[in-house]
Amino acid sequence: MADLVLENLTINYGAVAAVENLNIHVPSGEFLTLLGPSGCGKSTTLFAVAGLNHATSGTIRVGDKVLFDGKARNTVPPERRNIGLVFQSYALWPHKSVADNLAFPLILRKMGKAERDERIREALGLVEMLPYADRFPFELSGGQQQRVALARALVYRPPLLLLDEPLSNLDAKLRERARVWLRELQERLNVTTIYVTHDQAEALAVSDRIAVMSMGRMRQLGSPREIYERPADSFVADFIGSSNFLDAKLVQNGADAAQVRLADGTELTTPPGRAAQDGSVVVAVRPERVEVVSEMGPNCMRVMVEQKVYLGSVWQYVVRAGAVEFRIQTTWEINDPSVIVRIPAEHCALFAEKFVGT
Amino acid sequence: MTDISDTGASRQPIDRSRLIFWGVAALTTVLVAGPIVPIVIQAFLDKPLYDSSAGLTLGNFTRLASEPGMARVFFNTLYFGLLTMVLAQVFGAVMAVLVGRTNLPGRSWMGEVFIWPLFVSNLVIAFGWFTMYGPSGFMTLAAKTYLGAAPWNLYTVTGMGIVAGLSQAPLTYLMCLAAVTKADPQLEDAARSAGAGPFRALWSVTIPMIRPAVIYSAVLNFVVGIEMLAIPLLFGGPSGIQTVTTFLYDKGINAAVRPEYGIVGAAAILLLILVALLVWLQGYLMQASGRFVTVRGKASRPSILDLGKWRWPAFAFVFAFIFFTILSVFGGIFMRSAVTFLTPLIPFWKVLTTANFDLVFESSTYVRSIVNSVLVSTIGAAIGTFFICVIALVARRSEFRYRRPLEYVALFPRSLPGIIAGLGFFYAVIWLPGADMIRGTILVLIIAFMVRYIPVGFGAIAPALAQIGEELDRGSRISGADWWTTVTRIIMPILKPALFSCYALLFIHFFKEYVTAAFLYQPGSEIIGTTMLQLVAQGDNGPVSALATIQVIITALFVIIARRLLGAKIYG
Repeated sequence: MADLVLENLTINYGAVAAVENLNIHVPSGEFLTLLGPSGCGKSTTLFAVAGLNHATSGTIRVGDKVLFDGKARNTVPPERRNIGLVFQSYALWPHKSVADNLAFPLILRKMGKAERDERIREALGLVEMLPYADRFPFELSGGQQQRVALARALVYRPPLLLLDEPLSNLDAKLRERARVWLRELQERLNVTTIYVTHDQAEALAVSDRIAVMSMGRMRQLGSPREIYERPADSFVADFIGSSNFLDAKLVQNGADAAQVRLADGTELTTPPGRAAQDGSVVVAVRPERVEVVSEMGPNCMRVMVEQKVYLGSVWQYVVRAGAVEFRIQTTWEINDPSVIVRIPAEHCALFAEKFVGT
Repeated sequence: MTDISDTGASRQPIDRSRLIFWGVAALTTVLVAGPIVPIVIQAFLDKPLYDSSAGLTLGNFTRLASEPGMARVFFNTLYFGLLTMVLAQVFGAVMAVLVGRTNLPGRSWMGEVFIWPLFVSNLVIAFGWFTMYGPSGFMTLAAKTYLGAAPWNLYTVTGMGIVAGLSQAPLTYLMCLAAVTKADPQLEDAARSAGAGPFRALWSVTIPMIRPAVIYSAVLNFVVGIEMLAIPLLFGGPSGIQTVTTFLYDKGINAAVRPEYGIVGAAAILLLILVALLVWLQGYLMQASGRFVTVRGKASRPSILDLGKWRWPAFAFVFAFIFFTILSVFGGIFMRSAVTFLTPLIPFWKVLTTANFDLVFESSTYVRSIVNSVLVSTIGAAIGTFFICVIALVARRSEFRYRRPLEYVALFPRSLPGIIAGLGFFYAVIWLPGADMIRGTILVLIIAFMVRYIPVGFGAIAPALAQIGEELDRGSRISGADWWTTVTRIIMPILKPALFSCYALLFIHFFKEYVTAAFLYQPGSEIIGTTMLQLVAQGDNGPVSALATIQVIITALFVIIARRLLGAKIYG
């Protein structure tokens, strides 16, 4: 097994920086997800690791083997990197049967027939596709093709597995099952895995750690829980799950807590944070973290219920207090025109500016 | 799981992919530049190329300009090319719309007949026209006998232009047919629901969209006209009308004492520049064609327009065209090969003979030219397909730094008229040290033909290559295959149908070629085309028709086999 190290990785296309100064250390056996909206540079990064994109500067290392070194102008071609890669489109070779698809990388490694057949059987067994060994790719369903693609990437036992949105072509139900299965397989093989997706639920479900990317930069690197509970900036807070952003003025900033005042005059206690130069801040809080309470207290405010949407598992409301408008979620129906809500300090995050963009 | 450092695919001591990139690029450049460089040098030398005492001069150009009748030759060439283009465009486009989009009776078999002329050389076609419509042709005599006079005289520049234009119409037809049948029918449907009648919708929506095809084939036909040898030779020769190609041919080959290299080089350069300009113009005009792109991935069936009471008049028009320009031309060749003397005045069966074929099969030279033609086409097309395939793969699917320039060089022979390619290789084998070894062998014919038809093969392979997703290459590379293993083990097998089509197209083009070989063959390396050219000049029409018939039969057999067995796509 091997760890993957990206140091100061920068990838430019002409004048455009697709990836800027990326530093990630993925320990051996970890399942790391690169998460972000389209065009954030996550696939570009993945393909640079595979050697199918040319990085501009920085270093890519797997174990003690340097795959790319911008200073030494030293690039190992993709075929000598010994990395497994699963493509979004699966890229199964249409003229080869399932078994032949798996045999190709083994033949390239000059493996004898007996050992090859053993490896192919083992890999197809892993993905439960053994009965389909003689089929051709066009004879398989999407889910089956995805499994074969994974088997082909694993059959030569690479120390590093790269997955480029491998589940995005499956339907929703199958996708949920496949990600559980994928994670189990990865834990069993203990192969270092880099997973690219734009689906935050998928990322939260499968990853040891998530690197959230936007516009070529890494915004936050942490466990799913850290990313969700303690977003590093307003982009992460908005992209993972969804957040209310409340405009406020910083009243007092301490070591463990801060005091802010909302536009309607309500004062809230929040974790400490940085304010803009004029003292304005935004308070990020997730709709499902806002509590409906029976009486006023610290961090509480009275709000009018303006809009009500039934979402099946929850109810979602738009509530308003003066100029302050935000969303809350409950599991039961509110019938009163006005309620008291509490915004728990531990679920707030304070940012200097609101995330603008997609 | 094992350590990363040594489980990768086996290391190559040298990077063979890079060697292949540079090797292919170098070979392509040498082959394409091969015929051009000696011509350019020769045009500025006062003595033959191989004469070491030759000095630089502009004299060839001044001589060319002062040569009596030279202006006339260039005027003839342009007028002939222009007339060819206009007639081919008008008839080809009209036929494409009628066959492709209306309920014309017999449209499927007539559409098939329409592409026959594309399979044979314009030497064969010209000979067929000559046999039927020449001064003592079958149709001419029939018209004189039954109508009193034949209202045509093909021994003029206009007559030549009519012959060339009508026989080039199938090329326009082929290109426009693709455009009218692949146009998105929803666009016409939209016009219909906006209130346009079916004819109006066709006229206002679909016809304008075939403009790129019309422009593209127009320039193509103009170029074909300018560089055509057979028709000007057969119809212009007897009345002393010359075009640039016949001028080059006469001066280069038929000059009694010794070929006048300098003036030939100068004229060749002017022709080369003219054609290159036209090809550039074609590319320039096609630039804005993006707004006409309507071809969707989804297969859709174009709606068929009901001609109503015009069905049969339209049929009469199309059938007359096919009958007079294709069926009778081929028929004339076949009939002429089976008789001693072709005339409507004597019943056919009274002059039947096998003498023409006997003559061909008894002559070792004629038999050799047939064998050589088959060899050049079979072997040459195989070598050509492989070479062009590798060029396409390097140009389109590699990280080679100069892949764009390579494609540009490889497609340059589009601007290289056959007569100039032949002349250039003729100079090159004399001029280049060591090249003399292949002089007068069929190898030099294969090389010259291959260079000339790189763009044809490239056009068959490149679109199919674009259909193959790049992840398939990437998947192979990451599995441990280098570039060469990837293209040979993954891409080429998937590309197989396109490679068959490329082979079939090259075979047909090599088999019908004659112009390029005119300067290159020697006793021993004759091909059908050059033998026919020689016999035509001597007026030996019997064996010419027999050879033409044999050529047509072999071509037809090949086309049937290629389509059935290999599933090759040849012209639709």
